[in-house]
Amino acid sequence: MLRAGCQLFNQSTVAAAKTGSNNFALEFVRWRRKPRWLPVAKSKLFRVPERKKQSEEERTELMRLHNHYKTQLRSVRQYLREEVVRQQETSTADHIVLTPEQEEAEFQRCVEINAAWNAKIAIEREKRLAKEREEKVAYVQERLDARRVREEERRERADERVRFEIEQSKSFITRENLDAAIETALANPVDHNFAIDLAGNMIKGRSTQPSSN
Amino acid sequence: MPSYELALVLRQLPRPELISVIKRTAEAIFDKGGIIRKFENLGTRALPYKVSEHGVIHREATHFTITFDSAPTKLSDLKEEFGRDIDIIRRHIFKLEEPEEHKCTLHDEMLPPSYRKDVQEIIDIAKRKQKPKYNYNSGLDYYPFQK
Repeated sequence: MLRAGCQLFNQSTVAAAKTGSNNFALEFVRWRRKPRWLPVAKSKLFRVPERKKQSEEERTELMRLHNHYKTQLRSVRQYLREEVVRQQETSTADHIVLTPEQEEAEFQRCVEINAAWNAKIAIEREKRLAKEREEKVAYVQERLDARRVREEERRERADERVRFEIEQSKSFITRENLDAAIETALANPVDHNFAIDLAGNMIKGRSTQPSSN
Repeated sequence: MPSYELALVLRQLPRPELISVIKRTAEAIFDKGGIIRKFENLGTRALPYKVSEHGVIHREATHFTITFDSAPTKLSDLKEEFGRDIDIIRRHIFKLEEPEEHKCTLHDEMLPPSYRKDVQEIIDIAKRKQKPKYNYNSGLDYYPFQK
């Protein structure tokens, strides 16, 4: 856009823009210029820009306008400040003026309300804590009972097993009855093979023939 | 002490020698602090294949089992001792375990598939996975969702 606008200027304007001695503050920095981060060119290092000449009457006129403006602004500000102070002194819109006795009474009232709230919450808290305590006691008792039952069951199972083993131990083979046990075993060969027919009957033994019924 | 079962395959021997072999084995168990619960004679039978043990080839053998209780640490000693006995062809020690409880479910398995519980569960899962589908004859003349 600026490039397009740039082409509208005549040659002398462009030349003036390049040198920086233009009448209006227009300096193209995007195109045809050194990058911003480069230092000042050596040839422009000690150049002092020429100060614009101001005529005497222009200067006095500008000073007059400036003084007018400053005086008017100061007077407005002073008026507004005085108005605020006056407002604060006369109005009671944002605060209530109380005597010390009234203040004390107000404070006492607040304390009473606070104490009442605290008492109410304390009752609730007591109730809640008591309930929690009860629940905890019940829970612990339940767990203890469960553990006792578990232990009893375990002991019962162990006792059962011990009784069973003691009962079994009557048929254990010892050194004394070893010969007799071997004789008995050799005399009674066992056969764990079996067959099942379609009716679900078990036929034990390897050489047993099914009974013809 | 856990219960074990010693399965012995013994060389074919006359009866007195067979008795002495079994007695030797039982004494070894007793010496290691074991308890013998039961003897079982499974009979003399042809081996399934010829077995070469202690330099002799065996084709027939006597099968015998001893159920005993012993400390687990003594088992390797027992195995070593039985391995040195030239009358014992094979020896294996198995741990005796409680028989598993089986419940017959054949009746349920023989039902038609749609009556079986596992099949019904599978159908439920498939139904849960089905996405809601737009019904085209619901009155709108365009598809209201993104294709």
